[in-house]
Amino acid sequence: MLTEISAIAPQDTGEDTAVQIDGVSKSFSGTVALEPIRLKVRRGEFLTLLGPSGCGKTTLLNLIAGFLEADEGELFIDHDLVTQVPPHQRKIGIVFQNYALFPHMSVAQNVAYGLRTRRVPKAETAERVREALALVKLEDFADRRPRQLSGGQQQRVALARALVIRPRVLLLDEPFSALDRNLRSAMQVELREIQSRLGLTTVFVTHDQSEALSMSDRIAVMSRGRIRQIGTPSQIYDRPENHFVSTFVGDANLFAATLLEKTDATASLDIGTTRLSLATFQEELPEPGPVTLFVRPEQCSLTDPDQPGAIAATVALSVYQGSYAELHLDCSVAENGRVMLRVPASEAMEPGTDVGIALPERGPAIYTTTERET
Amino acid sequence: MSKRPFLGWFASPSILIAFGIAASFLAIVQFSLRAHIPGALDPGGFTLDNFTTLWKTVYGKAFVTTVLLCWWTALFTLLIGYPLAYAMVRAKSARLRSAILLISLTPLFLGEIVRTYSWMIVLGNRGFLNATLMQLGVIDRPLDLMFTMTGVVIALVHFTLPIVVVMLAAALSHIDRNLERAATSLGAGRIRCFLTVTLPLSIPGIVTATSTAFAWTFSAFATPQMIGGGKVQTISTLVYQVGFASFNFPLAASLSLVGLLFTIAVLALFNTGIHRLERIGAH
Ligand SMILES: Nc1ncnc2c1ncn2[C@@H]1O[C@H](COP(=O)(O)OP(=O)(O)OP(=O)(O)O)[C@@H](O)[C@H]1O
Ligand SMILES: [Mg+2]
Repeated sequence: MLTEISAIAPQDTGEDTAVQIDGVSKSFSGTVALEPIRLKVRRGEFLTLLGPSGCGKTTLLNLIAGFLEADEGELFIDHDLVTQVPPHQRKIGIVFQNYALFPHMSVAQNVAYGLRTRRVPKAETAERVREALALVKLEDFADRRPRQLSGGQQQRVALARALVIRPRVLLLDEPFSALDRNLRSAMQVELREIQSRLGLTTVFVTHDQSEALSMSDRIAVMSRGRIRQIGTPSQIYDRPENHFVSTFVGDANLFAATLLEKTDATASLDIGTTRLSLATFQEELPEPGPVTLFVRPEQCSLTDPDQPGAIAATVALSVYQGSYAELHLDCSVAENGRVMLRVPASEAMEPGTDVGIALPERGPAIYTTTERET
Repeated sequence: MSKRPFLGWFASPSILIAFGIAASFLAIVQFSLRAHIPGALDPGGFTLDNFTTLWKTVYGKAFVTTVLLCWWTALFTLLIGYPLAYAMVRAKSARLRSAILLISLTPLFLGEIVRTYSWMIVLGNRGFLNATLMQLGVIDRPLDLMFTMTGVVIALVHFTLPIVVVMLAAALSHIDRNLERAATSLGAGRIRCFLTVTLPLSIPGIVTATSTAFAWTFSAFATPQMIGGGKVQTISTLVYQVGFASFNFPLAASLSLVGLLFTIAVLALFNTGIHRLERIGAH
């Protein structure tokens, strides 16, 4: 796959790699959960695996942790080949969505567990447990049982338990999805602070795109067992490489168009009866023919319907959102018949008003229409 | 609240059963307080003699035998059943899981008499077990298995295994797999993971399974009767003997009653044991 080449982009080689996944794949009784994956996680980096349910995020995480055996491929942690190393010797910290705290042990015993298995002396264990609990602000809860804590506190204990062993990599599988919204954003900030303070290599799994965009150094967007794009949050948001990424991350307006001609810098296309010439960020454009034109809501603007180059549309609904209003427009050339724009709340329009949509000359992306299925 | 018109109908069979149990229980209590007239089937006047008779050593010995039998059976059933249940819950292949389930459940389908006769064939002096061991040269004289405690325990373990395996499997399958994964990621090997996480969390299941096994063996009749052959006297075989060989219904009734109270006492003891263990587990 072309898109996967970005995952092993040559500029990575200068960086220190903490986790290297080399063509690792996994099937469950015939059904493919993961196609061969190539991925390098840089040391100290916060990398997020983002994708819809069932795309293989947990499977990939379990392969790194060693709970699953790869069908093929190699896995390196700190340049050591660990493909055959059992999970308890990998020195990896894991935080589960359901916390997985040992219910029959106190908070302190939970945190101390990973030190006792490694026969750390008693005094040092006590000291490190205290430090770890201080890190997650739970010093006063050492003697409690996990079930006597709130969800957020339990998740912090799970984090302390994973951190206290000074793992080579920290893995988190949708750790905050069971928390309510306020608590979740507080925990996001806290995790990010701790992670960057410790310089800890982290692989974080989520299906929440805003969580991924706000927390990550880099995001790997996955679908159907493949990595569809990997890059910084702004690369993912501003320069999605394919149809799937463009719609999965952020809001997208999609137009059915016909690509007439492409040169190095520009492409000319027909959208309905409107002919446009656009410059895109893409290095490679699809072949002339039916294509999908992708534009973020904030790149579109409203004009007069008669303006040359404007796409005709009718206001269907205006949704007040406080500082702005969302205008949902009926548009015959949009792929799902709708286009969404954000305008200042004062400029909201009555349903039924005819408007024109002006597309920017730079920025939109053009994808082959067949890519939609993935 | 809306009325639930069918509730009465659904509950009615249970009322019938409760009525039946209460009636037979009352009959036993009533019989146990009546005098025995040798040669007559009808009991005499009210008396407490039956209960004082129970202080005799024969009866005392039957209680001790029964408890020992239950204890050894529960112990060995647990030792065999736990690994089986564990394998059943953790086996990766679905086929292996159902094979283990089927094998451990077969004793339930066999019926008590068939199963016990099979054991008599296996355990006899020239039975399968002794013949095989002698052929292999492991022993040169047949082991005494028939009409002994050992033989009865072997057959009772087989009889009790299904319920213990099913109960332990239920308890084990409720243990979150992520707990074991968490322990493993924290550096615990298989054995440590089992001893520090899986085993402590399955203690409530072990206690329930053991106490059920206890009650289950306590009430066993055909196995101790046929394999024990009168040499291993339990409360149930004694009730049978007193009631249907000597036709002393009042004494049989009082023996049953004391046996019942005894079972309840043992189960109550187990119950407090569970709470203790849970509190230990909770510390
Ligand atoms: N033990 C298993 N046996 C069979 N199929 C499995 C198993 N584990 C995962 N799968 C399948 O592999 C695919 C990927 O699953 P995975 O759990 O990795 O998804 P995910 O991205 O973590 O999804 P979610 O966001 O819902 O947690 C799914 O189609 C799933 O049905
Ligand atoms: Mg998952």
